[in-house]
Amino acid sequence: MLFQNYEKGDFFDEMFASGDGDVFPHYQPLYQRFQNLEREQFQERQQRIDDTFLKNGITFTVYGDKDGTERIFPFDLIPRVIPDNEWRVVQDGLTQRIIALNLFLHDIYHEQRILKDGVVPRDIVESAAHYRPEMLGVNVPRDIYIHVCGTDLIRDHDGKYLVLEDNGRCPSGVSYLLENREAMKRAFPRLYSAMNVRPVDAYPELLLKTVQHLSPRQSQTPVCVLLTPGVYNSAYFEHTFLARQMGIQIVEGRDLVAIDGYVYMRTIRGLVQVDVIYRRIDDDFIDPKVFRPDSVLGVPGLIDAYLRGNVALANAVGTGVADDKVTYCYVPEIIRYYLDQDPILDNVRTYLGWRPDDQKYMLENLENLVIKAANESGGYGMLMGPSSTAKERAEFAAKIKANPRNYIGQPVISLSRHPTVCGDTIEGRHVDLRPFVLYGEDVQIIPGGLTRVALRKGSLVVNSSQGGGSKDTWVLYQ
Amino acid sequence: MRLRVHHRTEYRYFSPVWESLNELHLKPLETRWQTCESAIIAVIPAVRLTSYEDLHQNTVHHFEIPEKHDRLIIDSRCTVRTICKVDFEALPYGFPHSGLRGLKGDEECFPYLQDSRYVEINPEHWRLALDIQDFSTDVFQTAYAIMEYIFRNFEYRYGSTSVTTHANEVIARRCGVCQDFAHAMVALCRCLGIPCRYVSGYFFDATRNHSLRGSEASHAWTEVFIPGHGWIGLDPTNNKVIDDTYIAVAVGRDYRDVTPVAGTYFGIGSSILEVKVTVERLDPPVATPQSSKATAPSAAAAKPATGETAALKA
Repeated sequence: MLFQNYEKGDFFDEMFASGDGDVFPHYQPLYQRFQNLEREQFQERQQRIDDTFLKNGITFTVYGDKDGTERIFPFDLIPRVIPDNEWRVVQDGLTQRIIALNLFLHDIYHEQRILKDGVVPRDIVESAAHYRPEMLGVNVPRDIYIHVCGTDLIRDHDGKYLVLEDNGRCPSGVSYLLENREAMKRAFPRLYSAMNVRPVDAYPELLLKTVQHLSPRQSQTPVCVLLTPGVYNSAYFEHTFLARQMGIQIVEGRDLVAIDGYVYMRTIRGLVQVDVIYRRIDDDFIDPKVFRPDSVLGVPGLIDAYLRGNVALANAVGTGVADDKVTYCYVPEIIRYYLDQDPILDNVRTYLGWRPDDQKYMLENLENLVIKAANESGGYGMLMGPSSTAKERAEFAAKIKANPRNYIGQPVISLSRHPTVCGDTIEGRHVDLRPFVLYGEDVQIIPGGLTRVALRKGSLVVNSSQGGGSKDTWVLYQ
Repeated sequence: MRLRVHHRTEYRYFSPVWESLNELHLKPLETRWQTCESAIIAVIPAVRLTSYEDLHQNTVHHFEIPEKHDRLIIDSRCTVRTICKVDFEALPYGFPHSGLRGLKGDEECFPYLQDSRYVEINPEHWRLALDIQDFSTDVFQTAYAIMEYIFRNFEYRYGSTSVTTHANEVIARRCGVCQDFAHAMVALCRCLGIPCRYVSGYFFDATRNHSLRGSEASHAWTEVFIPGHGWIGLDPTNNKVIDDTYIAVAVGRDYRDVTPVAGTYFGIGSSILEVKVTVERLDPPVATPQSSKATAPSAAAAKPATGETAALKA
């Protein structure tokens, strides 16, 4: 019923094979179930889920929005299915990547061999907005910098997975992933159990173990806290959600105090020493004594305690240099350098404003490229070439010329599409995938990730702040 | 069987060392019976890693750290899929001792019939080997008997030997750990003209009570060559024919050829070596990890200006 008028279009479709348009075997049970569903039954389920999300406050904030700050994250009822063999490649590729990025950070903040060997240009690293010379020579707990990484993957026209960007600072979205799963289990309990889907509910526990692993006081149960910028942050829901799931305190900067190189939490029973801070505040705001002096979100003296090794931070300070979009371009080289192997997951072809040839190409082909600012995330500060106006392009051309280091260009990839509910019909919409990688004693990736979907017709921008929604992601056992 | 291995080696030096040069045998072999799905080696301090294939077709990773450093961490993770090479319904019997003469000049067997760094062919070993052979005329039967003899008569004891103990000493004292048991078996087999090589790797202890020896560190066993069947693995430490619970990482004439972590450095004072090996089974959805830790102030690494930094062995 539902898929009657579905048009695959000239894209890689997650559910229907190219050519004859057969349903992929791993989608078969799902296809049958949805095909047998009446439109009314379907809408009723969708309505129930939307209501639950609203009641439970599963929301996010759009900065600079006039109509009110909080919105529910639009949820699409048709889950994305990833077979086991595809997932293994993704898993191996992400493991390889996070290990290489951590070695890169360790090197950058120690001997800088990769810069001396000329594999990554020194200028690129030292001009990165999130490079922290304060961290030079510092040994971070367990030598791990990025403990939580959200890597954005897309699939190209042939269905090949490509890395679009790494988020190695404070990646968010995992709470939606967990909530989406809960919603799907309620909406389609029998289909869910029939399809042999790998569970994701271990995430909060794994995250807790990952941060506990860093504790400077291994002899006792570590005191871990989640540091949030507060209720106005776009991911505040997620902060409360994770803290509750992990069973740790959620704190704001003013709840912590640094005394004599130790960090304490103010409680009604007095000060309690804190061992690990899972921080969801950017480096810039975390300690006004070291970074931005006007920050009221941070804790003065926190970095001092951190450098003395009395408190651990996850993620470490200075990881932003690894997820800078210019560094991204060098990740394949970074993998080859430290691990002596080829990257399992490829990058998207990237032009750097910093290279004269690339810059020339970027300026001449603005209407065919996506231009991104090197240090921005969340879909802010970018230009979608094909849908841009001449005025926007002129604006970006000026920006690139003024600050070439800060801009990159990528060809417009026709992201894979997935059947998605659009009003009364089901249409193909572009999707990406953000798996969450945890690096503690071992590298752990919960099966799947957050599938984001660009709900606007033809749109390639999946960010929630730009009108994106999400789907549940089902990784199968076999 | 799908197995995941995490092998972490950490050296802490009491005073900084420099010009450290290291070679690693840590990447599992690729054979028809063993596929390496992924293998990642991470070294801290972060350095450029390169690799080459050695004479025995093992992958060797190489790195150098010129600057002063006071610790070195080598973190190796791999996922390997194994299938059983030996058909337990039809063990490779049937190749007679009389056929061994023809293998002497064989390119594949020659290196594994000679003396090597830790293994010597001498009359005493030959006499012992003949006694064990009894009246067997079948090569596999003899090799099996040698394995069984070592398993029954040698005492498995930590700390009784070091990484540089020679097979002669092992056979004389009749005790040691897996490395020594393998060396002894290699020596006894070669005395009888049976091509025998040393294998290092890991194995998953699938027994309920973890009764097998050597799963807590990297393990060592042997392979004998039987024409028509190829190299057949025998583990004298556990008295087992090698099955799909074993992951071979490197093969060679003896320990010297396959040392997991070997290298030289300049510096004074000693070091602490910590090795941790975890082998986990992946194919049933619920995995049962087995893990343990071995810490030992390494006497072997406390050496004059330069020498061999050998990994802890079992």
